[in-house]
Amino acid sequence: MSDTTLLALFEDIDPAAEAIDKLHEMGVTDDRLNVISGIPITHKMLGRPHPWTNVSRLALGGAVAGFFFGLFLNFGTPYLYNVPVGGQYITPIPPGLIIVFEMTMLFALLSTFLGVFLDSFFPNYGPMEYVGQISDGKIGVFFKVPQEEQQQFSDAMNQMGAESVKPAEARQL
Amino acid sequence: MAVTSGYLGSEKAHTDHPEEEHDPRESLMYDPLPRGVMNDMVMESMHTTSWKFWVVLGILAFLVATCFFYAWGYMIAKGLGVAGVMRPSYWGVFLVNTVFWIGISHAGTFISAILRVMKAEFRRPFTRAAELMTTFGLIQAGASIFMHLGRVWLAYWMFPIPNERQLWPNFHSPLMWDLLAITTYVLGSTMYLFLPLIPDLAMARDRSTGWRKTFYRILALGFRGTEGEWRHLTTAMNIFAFAIIPVMFSVHTIVSWDFAMAMRPGWSSTVFGPYFVLGALHSGMGAVAVVLVIMRSTMKHMDYFIRKEHFDGLGKLMMVVSFAYAYFFFNDYIVQWYGGDRWTDTLLHWLEEGPMAWMFFQMVGFNIVIPFLTLWNKRVRTTPWLLAIIGLLINVGMYWERYIIVPVTLSINRMPFTWRLYEPRIEIFLTIGTFSMFLLFYMIASRLIPLIPVWEVQEGQMVHTLRKVGKAQVPTVSEFE
Repeated sequence: MSDTTLLALFEDIDPAAEAIDKLHEMGVTDDRLNVISGIPITHKMLGRPHPWTNVSRLALGGAVAGFFFGLFLNFGTPYLYNVPVGGQYITPIPPGLIIVFEMTMLFALLSTFLGVFLDSFFPNYGPMEYVGQISDGKIGVFFKVPQEEQQQFSDAMNQMGAESVKPAEARQL
Repeated sequence: MAVTSGYLGSEKAHTDHPEEEHDPRESLMYDPLPRGVMNDMVMESMHTTSWKFWVVLGILAFLVATCFFYAWGYMIAKGLGVAGVMRPSYWGVFLVNTVFWIGISHAGTFISAILRVMKAEFRRPFTRAAELMTTFGLIQAGASIFMHLGRVWLAYWMFPIPNERQLWPNFHSPLMWDLLAITTYVLGSTMYLFLPLIPDLAMARDRSTGWRKTFYRILALGFRGTEGEWRHLTTAMNIFAFAIIPVMFSVHTIVSWDFAMAMRPGWSSTVFGPYFVLGALHSGMGAVAVVLVIMRSTMKHMDYFIRKEHFDGLGKLMMVVSFAYAYFFFNDYIVQWYGGDRWTDTLLHWLEEGPMAWMFFQMVGFNIVIPFLTLWNKRVRTTPWLLAIIGLLINVGMYWERYIIVPVTLSINRMPFTWRLYEPRIEIFLTIGTFSMFLLFYMIASRLIPLIPVWEVQEGQMVHTLRKVGKAQVPTVSEFE
């Protein structure tokens, strides 16, 4: 028994959310469902599980790494080639705070940015299931169903207000 | 119920105060169009160019080629002697330009990050236009620093790497703080520009053909708009919005410390940090007003996205920033004036009565007097060309302010035998070059990058609704996140 992926397109959030409820009722689990949209729609609106993200953890990790790198630049490098100057500390703290702050922020921002790439698998130019109407504001619900039940699910989605229901096609983005 | 009072729309209220009647649908957020239509409008605005556009582009390209690249190449070949910098003004227009462009760059972060954090909804259509200013402004600031270096090929001496004797750069120097702060800000603001751009690049990808499709396809990174992608993107944008604000403050504060850390008359001041930050915001907001007016009047369909309400909001911000700037300016001035230090007194008298007095008084007039006299008036704020002129004057005033702080202040020091008025030479061409390059980049970007963040506008329009309270339609905003 092979599965097929169907794409139901909706104009608004409400029918999309109700359609997802219907899919749940019909036995489609959340891991066999995906929603794509042209604006960020929260999981609560769709009754979907909270999507996991590592971005904030990566940002924190980057900040910690940057903090220690800043410490190294300010408090470590002067001792690698010590140049004592009369009346001046080798590693004064106030300028050190500036360096540490800048490095902490720089690494936090870089790791946040990279976090989006890692979590979203960017860049990904391979063929993927997508339709251009998504960027026109439509909401697409992808779901995997057994091939022989395709018609039954299509009818259910049409009843829930889907504009179209068709097998999803992977296309080159 | 209290909400049935006249304020909310009784007949009497309408008759008594006709000037207060305001149709909420005049606001972009309450005047939605289908997303596809907005996409078409933004794409058409990018694709439509008149002959005037190409003529201006050609002139700017010529100016960049001659005043930027040729003049800089000439200076590199001949040495810094072709510039006007010499004792006592070793810091000339190059540093003025650096501070000025960093100031311009503050607008993007302020509008995008601070207004995003504060959930100021009127920001939505013009955040990207402001963010682009940040990136392009910082490019000019960076170029101006490299010009100032003279032997620009030795710039790597400042990189945090040891030299052949294993000696590292001195991180106790404000110039090193500068390097690190500006690098952080350039990278941070460019990433912050790019992240919210990804969904709009995907939209452009879906609607383009030929080389444009390839261009957008590469930049859109394969974005589809899945729940996960949105979650990662919005989380990152929230982190950026909060994190970039202290970075923005730190950058111009550190730039101010390049001056304030020196025990010089006119420079050594504890308020220089916030004074510089406010000055940066002042010039940045003014520049945003100018750019928005030019965008609205030269690009198709921009009058739908950029409306009077946006100029009104921007004008109010400019007014508030002008008040704050005036406060810090006076604070800096009065302490120095009252202090009685001989050389500071000499400098202040020279500023007010000397050959550069015209610049000093123009600075005060353009930065404080004109905004005070005009921006309180809603009609002025909502008249785009007037706001653009005020924004332009503020920028002239802010340029003079930096000119006074850098070479003019350096002209007067504790050794009267070295006093000499700075006269820029090749710096004039290089300044024209940086301004031309900024405009050139902006014009090119306006035809390649969707200047309106359509998805943010649509999101805003979805959360804004009109609620009927009594007989009135009351604008309401719901929390979407």
